[in-house]
Amino acid sequence: MVGSLHFFGAALGLGMIVIGAALGIGKFAAAAAESIARQPNAADKITGAVNLPLFLLEGVAIIAEVGVLLIVLLK
Amino acid sequence: MIQEIAHQTEHAAEAPAPFDAGKTIIEHVSNAKDHPIVHLPHLMGIDFSVTKHVMMLWLVAAFVFLVVTVTVRRYLKQEQLVPFGFMNGLEAVVEFIRDSIVAPNVGRRWVNTWTPLVLTLFIFILCANAVGLVPIFELLGLLDHWVLRTGEHSFVKGLMHGGTTATANFNVTAALATITFGAIIVAGSKAHGFVTHWKNLVPHGLAWPIYILLIPIEILGMFVRPFALTMRLAANMTGGHIAILTLLSLVFIFAQMSGRALVGIGFGAVVSVPLAAAISGLEIIVVLVQAYVFTLLSAVFIGMAIHAHH
Repeated sequence: MVGSLHFFGAALGLGMIVIGAALGIGKFAAAAAESIARQPNAADKITGAVNLPLFLLEGVAIIAEVGVLLIVLLK
Repeated sequence: MIQEIAHQTEHAAEAPAPFDAGKTIIEHVSNAKDHPIVHLPHLMGIDFSVTKHVMMLWLVAAFVFLVVTVTVRRYLKQEQLVPFGFMNGLEAVVEFIRDSIVAPNVGRRWVNTWTPLVLTLFIFILCANAVGLVPIFELLGLLDHWVLRTGEHSFVKGLMHGGTTATANFNVTAALATITFGAIIVAGSKAHGFVTHWKNLVPHGLAWPIYILLIPIEILGMFVRPFALTMRLAANMTGGHIAILTLLSLVFIFAQMSGRALVGIGFGAVVSVPLAAAISGLEIIVVLVQAYVFTLLSAVFIGMAIHAHH
């Protein structure tokens, strides 16, 4: 029972990472789509401005997932 | 990849050991230090054996070096400098990197200094990522299984463990990120001088208690940036492999749970293979995006060192 608790924690953590990353990316996408709809001329600039924080967010999520993987592998 | 699992299950059929999905996946993703392709002696306590990631790294490096050098040399020998054939594609990549990655971040003055480095990183990472999607060594395994029929520990069997992405290894991406780390310091030093670059890390003219807090944070940030680059690239590449392998492992898990091979094959045909194919398609995008992200962030960090307006 106690021996498999780390799996429970890892699965829970993975779900929470996905929730957080999805919320973040959803907000980015919504804001980008709205601002492109408002100003189609500035689409390139808006995409450029959204890209960088998007990748940083992705990096944080990926690092958290590596942590989860380590929990499972190393126990 | 499929073959490796098939190979594993063949073993499982001989000895009644149950199929272990986790072990199979880790064996495929990890560097397989226990059975390297070429055994080399230890030098100064470091194992110099050529493992599958090392082999792929060298293959990709040699491929990129040869293809790009030959193309550019041939282009430069022409009477009129008009690109043709493959040079067109290469030129498009070079222009894309220079105009939309390096120039906006680094600034007009330093474009020609930093484009070569960023361009090299981009092309190398792109090729190293993409080669994992090409099933060359799986085909070799098929040939071995039906035609060559070499022994259990032959060179060909060793080669079959190849065909992985070298950038899925954290050591490789750590080395690439170290180059970026060095480039950031060199960029700052070239633009402002060595001492000023370090002074630029923190804003000037604040009350002294803030510096006690700020200097450790900035020093930490200096190391976090290449660390994030390392993790992002390697974890993305490994993640794709793990997702595909997990889906394909379901075939064997289902077959074992029901005790019939037909259940596994049916599940594979209906669920596993279509989903794995879809993820492979997604991987093509990931391969491009990750190469782009690594170079974009490198350019941004180099630009931040150059334009330190503190």
